[in-house]
Amino acid sequence: MRIVCPFCGERELGEFTYLGDAKPVRPVAGASEDEVFDYVYLRDNVAGETSEHWYHGGGCRAWLKVARNTLTHEISAVEPAAGAGARQAVK
Amino acid sequence: MADFSWGSRSPLEHALVAGAHGARGTEAGVSLTEIRDFDLIQVMARRGQAAELAKAAKARFGVAAPNAPKAVQTSDAILIWSGPDQFFVLSKGGKHTMQTLAPALSGPASLSDQSHARALINIAGSKARIMLAKLSSIDLHPEVFPIGSAAATSMDHTSVTLWRGDDRPDGQAVFSLLVFATFAESLWHTMLDAAAEYGVEISHSEELA
Ligand SMILES: [Zn+2]
Repeated sequence: MRIVCPFCGERELGEFTYLGDAKPVRPVAGASEDEVFDYVYLRDNVAGETSEHWYHGGGCRAWLKVARNTLTHEISAVEPAAGAGARQAVK
Repeated sequence: MADFSWGSRSPLEHALVAGAHGARGTEAGVSLTEIRDFDLIQVMARRGQAAELAKAAKARFGVAAPNAPKAVQTSDAILIWSGPDQFFVLSKGGKHTMQTLAPALSGPASLSDQSHARALINIAGSKARIMLAKLSSIDLHPEVFPIGSAAATSMDHTSVTLWRGDDRPDGQAVFSLLVFATFAESLWHTMLDAAAEYGVEISHSEELA
């Protein structure tokens, strides 16, 4: 498997580290215990298209958001994660 | 209290043995030269200030700093891309240090002195690219990786900054790499093993090029 880093180009899997599902969003302060439990512990086990965070630690050290199919390993899109680099900083 | 004096020593001081290594009898196919005593400053744009940094760097160096995996030669330094919105300033002789760069760049950027945190190795010779192909998954063919190309990548599971500077006077390509000081010895031995079959000429130098 290879990932096309938007900053570096196509690189082998060994340069990347998998973090996990990119979908969960941190609940607002004061959210219920159930919502926080869900955010911290519960994950969907998707067979198909997923959105994941990967870290290009063996390269440019940017966090990436990768759209990957868990059945085929086909990667359909890679983009910088929010905050990767100063330019892509979250407004 | 005891007086301390801090003398800078190369991280390859013990591993590097100048002279010939590996196959003998023909001209060495690979030359490995450690460059010692350099100034290396990492410049990272502050959040949302990449455009301001680009402007300040252009004013400071006279050329645009790389905003893609490239190495740019200035009159007295090399600017090497090290990640999105960040680059290294590599120079000699105290021209570009924390003290001299901070007034120009510390507004839009964070500066970090890496001079003693990295080892710098130049790799040249007729078999340099063949040898590197054993260790790197990057295509270093001249059509893909011409002069001025750079990459933040891994060799032997070790993060390196790799770039191709100007050719030697005899026309041979020169690849340069920066590696974390504490990993330098390990990578050095790996490169010696990879290069041994071609014959290696080992040296160290105080000059960048
Ligand atoms: Zn990258």
